[in-house]
Amino acid sequence: MTQNHKELTARTFVDVHAIQEELDQVRWGLHADGGGSEAAQHAAAEARASVCNLIAVVSNEPELGAISSVLDRLSVTNPSRTLILLAQHTRAADKLEAEVSAQERTESGHRVTTERVLLHAHGEPARHLASLAAPLLIPDLPVILWWPGRPEFDSPLFNDLCELADRLIVDTDEGFDETDLTRLLGVARRKTARASIGDLNWARLIAWRHTAAQFFDMPGMLARLAHIHGVSIFHGSDGSTAQARLLGGWVRSRMATVGIDVPLEFRPDDSHEHGVCRFLIYTGGDEGLARFSLKRLRGNRLLTQIRLGDQDLSPRTVRLESRPAEELLGFELTLPGHDVLFEQALDAALR
Amino acid sequence: MAQAVTTPITQNILRDGLILPRTPDPAAMVIFGASGDLTARKLMPALYNLALNRYLPSGFSVIGVADTAISEDEFRSRVADAVQKFSRTQPVDRAVWQSLAEGISYVRMPFDDQDGYGRLAAELDRLDRERGTNGNRVFYLATAPQFFSVIIDRLGSSGIAKTGEGWKRVVIEKPFGNDLKSAQALNHAIHSVFTEQQIFRIDHYLGKETVQNVLVFRFANGIFEPIWNRRYVDHVQITVAEDIGIERRGKYYETSGALRDIFQNHLMQLLSIAAMEAPPNFDADSVRDEKVKVLKSIHPIDVAKDVVRGQYGPGWVGGQQVPGYRQELNVSPTSNTETFVAVRLKIDNWRWADTPFYLRTGKRLPSRASEIAIQFKNPPHLPFAKTAVEELTPNWLVMRIQPHEGASLKIAAKIPGPVMRLRTVNMDFFYGSSFMVESPDAYERLVLDCMLGDATLFAREDEVERAWGLVDRIEAGWALQPPPFPNYAAGSWGPPEADALIEQDGRRWRRP
Repeated sequence: MTQNHKELTARTFVDVHAIQEELDQVRWGLHADGGGSEAAQHAAAEARASVCNLIAVVSNEPELGAISSVLDRLSVTNPSRTLILLAQHTRAADKLEAEVSAQERTESGHRVTTERVLLHAHGEPARHLASLAAPLLIPDLPVILWWPGRPEFDSPLFNDLCELADRLIVDTDEGFDETDLTRLLGVARRKTARASIGDLNWARLIAWRHTAAQFFDMPGMLARLAHIHGVSIFHGSDGSTAQARLLGGWVRSRMATVGIDVPLEFRPDDSHEHGVCRFLIYTGGDEGLARFSLKRLRGNRLLTQIRLGDQDLSPRTVRLESRPAEELLGFELTLPGHDVLFEQALDAALR
Repeated sequence: MAQAVTTPITQNILRDGLILPRTPDPAAMVIFGASGDLTARKLMPALYNLALNRYLPSGFSVIGVADTAISEDEFRSRVADAVQKFSRTQPVDRAVWQSLAEGISYVRMPFDDQDGYGRLAAELDRLDRERGTNGNRVFYLATAPQFFSVIIDRLGSSGIAKTGEGWKRVVIEKPFGNDLKSAQALNHAIHSVFTEQQIFRIDHYLGKETVQNVLVFRFANGIFEPIWNRRYVDHVQITVAEDIGIERRGKYYETSGALRDIFQNHLMQLLSIAAMEAPPNFDADSVRDEKVKVLKSIHPIDVAKDVVRGQYGPGWVGGQQVPGYRQELNVSPTSNTETFVAVRLKIDNWRWADTPFYLRTGKRLPSRASEIAIQFKNPPHLPFAKTAVEELTPNWLVMRIQPHEGASLKIAAKIPGPVMRLRTVNMDFFYGSSFMVESPDAYERLVLDCMLGDATLFAREDEVERAWGLVDRIEAGWALQPPPFPNYAAGSWGPPEADALIEQDGRRWRRP
């Protein structure tokens, strides 16, 4: 794979019109090798491929570096106009700076151009960055708000940005407790400043959900699902339970659609430090007792097993992808509108 | 304890919202020709990647069948090596492979050996008992075509292909016959054992993501279909160009040629999906009905006027000097096998009447490219000064199958400045750089579809026979006079007659 990366960064601005003008300039500048030549004009006339406006909010410089790297990698597959808000309202002395840059990458002969604006604010301006972000968005493209850490649910910035955004993406694995999860669900349900919610932690559960659902694709197994009488979820020993709660909430919410209330049991497991380790579904009924189990193995694998009575069926080992943040984020960007299943799972997890 | 059910469960509600295909029933896949190249390069890597990505069911099993004197362990070791070498995902996950390999066994037998089928039946019974495959079978014929009929016959006479518990399906690789008569005979032989719904004739081109994307491009975007007709389209060019020669396939290619190897299947498939009407839905028969209608509507070809054949001589490709076709391994020095075909077709229906379709395929052309290119008619009137637009080229919409899969629209734009000057710019959409998911290999998609019983991307009996009918007509025309071979240099875009074919209509071939 051939890769080439060219970047042009503009000086600091605080005026929104100046930023907009500079966005055009830096983009043009990437192709300006021939000055005003027809070749340069032709290159600049190339269609801009943008799939969304992406707003990322960070609160400190070290986090800015990490988030910028993720966005760099994301831009290859999801070219977007990206606004990074470094919002530090607790720092004294009001400050507002902007930095505009455009990146051009060539991957396997395909050129991808993206623009990025970094808005850096201290003090009061940091609370009102949404007012600067709004006019910088590309019209008619969805606005995705990515809040990498725990959101400040009560802050004006969070609520103004939710008002602006079509979709809020968080990572509940970033230490979300029950209160945070409740407030997150509230964002999806409130009347104003309402955004659909995406969660990278939920995206990490796709392999678990898929593999668990496959159990009941097998001939004769669907009838057993009607006699589910319990679910046990083992989670890592570090005490973070958001992922396990979501997985349990998912089963409970799905089964609620057919009027079945599923008891959930959560237990720590020393075999792994973090995340869901084992997922067991118990069924009974006329077909007899059965246990459907998924177990996380070292090396990003899942072992699937079915026990019918005292008979074990053929076990299966499949991959449990460990996806980096940009892939999880990229996946979330492909989802249209409200992720009703996630919201129902979250709701059920909190009951 | 859980409450009593208030709503019956009729579908797998845990699958709601998962953007992933249904899981096939547990099944055994019997691969005839298990020691061959296709099994090593395509089938086993495809099965491994399906297993890796959780698409295969528990209990899925493979029985390799071949007449090669190796033990079961040696067979497993061979296919493990093949997966190691040819899997698109690397490194190979040993635990996942091990889990799949536990269901792999080997039956050594000549394909016509009735006793061998008895042993095969016993092995299938064992898998039903021990791995829960429940009588579900895929018979994959990855053999040379001359074995197709005998294998089908023995599957029937041994009772293995009998329905009863579980489903039975048969996958047949191309070439499906070598003319209309042999294709009809093969269809007849297969139908004596399997119904049409059980038959999956594979053309791996249809498994390619980008070929399927042509259908999405056409039928999921409201802006293209209204102009996809004779009123707005000047003509269509469909190209399947290869820069390679015949490599080590001389023996096969001598009996095939470009007409049978590519035109009869890949080019006909691309023509069908480019020209078909919108199906009412995406089920197998709805899509295939529309494709067959296109083939039925092809205006009878005048071979002398509408078809050009060619054979490459020595030349230079990609900076390398290469031999001519007649100098290739296992090729007769006086061979008259064609390595290039260009055809002008017309489709007699309301959508396409009088709109020419130019199809070409060839070996040792300057570059590898597969594409469907549509040239739109010029605007009826240009309000600009003649000098401003004389170099303006028509609008082209190009759907590239490979390489650089995607779509490209060529449009006119004004060059900035005080004078009205126009020039042509390309708007490109690159499939690979717009979606994060790596495209699966065509075989992964097709094997999975077969296991799910979805024949949409497989050729139907009438489709195959229609395509062979066209090939037979061309062959009959060619038989009237010997070809002046070789007639194009390796590294060129085919014989001059191919250029003349399109230039006499006032058009030119695209450079893909």
